[in-house]
Amino acid sequence: MLILTRKLGESITIGDDIKITFLETKGKQVRIGIEAPPHIAVHREEIYQLIREQNIQAANVESIEKETLPNILDGLKHLLLRDQQKR
Amino acid sequence: MNIITTRFGEIDVDESKIIDMRAGIIGFEHLKKFVLHIRDEQNPFWWFQSLDEAVIAFVVINPFVVKADYAPVIDDNDTKLLEIENTDDVVLLTIVTIRQNPFSVSVNLRAPIVVNAKKKIAKQVILENTAYPVRYNLTVPGSGEKASIAGDCKKGDDCEAASL
Repeated sequence: MLILTRKLGESITIGDDIKITFLETKGKQVRIGIEAPPHIAVHREEIYQLIREQNIQAANVESIEKETLPNILDGLKHLLLRDQQKR
Repeated sequence: MNIITTRFGEIDVDESKIIDMRAGIIGFEHLKKFVLHIRDEQNPFWWFQSLDEAVIAFVVINPFVVKADYAPVIDDNDTKLLEIENTDDVVLLTIVTIRQNPFSVSVNLRAPIVVNAKKKIAKQVILENTAYPVRYNLTVPGSGEKASIAGDCKKGDDCEAASL
C-alpha cells in the first residue's frame, strides 16, 4: 500500500480524472472530498460490502426449486395486498 | 431474439427492451445486459434476468408497492450517468432477497435499481439516506407468516415443516 502524508486542503490525484482532497479532521474523523467521473462508483466500504453480500444472497434464488418459487411469490403477493388493505 | 435462461428456459426478448446496466449490479459488475421479465401481470414480483449469464435472475419489485412513501434522492452524478432528463422516465426496481432456513424475505430499499425507461439505461445506486434499510423485511420473523407464504402449507398440516 502506498502511504502518503498530506496537509489539510492538499490533494491526491489518481489517474487523469480522480482527485481526493483532505478537508477537515475532527477527533478521529476525517472529511475528504472526492472528484471522479460519473462512471466511477465511490462508496463507503462497509455499505458497499453489505449491499454486495445482499445481492449475492438475492441471486442465490437460483437454488430455490423452480416449482416452489411461484408458490412463494404468490404467497407474498397476498401478504402485500393484505398489508395494503390494512393501511 | 430468443435467449436461454436457466429458470425459464427459452424466452423471447424484444431487443428494444434490453437494459444496459451502466455499472452492473454490485457484486455482479461483469453483467451488463438485463431484461425485465414479467411472468404474471397480476403478481408484483418480477424478474431481472441477466442476458450475459443464463443462471442469474433477481426477483425485483416496484418499491412503492412495499413502501408507498418511498422517496429516494438520486444524486447529480447518477442522473447524468443515466441521462435522465425527465423524472417521468425513471422506473425504480428493488431487489428482493428470499432466504431459506429460516425463511425470510426482504427488499433492499437502500440500493434500488434506477432505470431510465426511455433510454433503457440502469444502475444500482446506493442512497445516502440511511433511513432506508438494506434488509427491509416483508416477513416478520417467527410470526407464522412463513407458513402462508410458503404456499404449499395446507390447513391442518404442520406448517413449520412446510416453511422453506
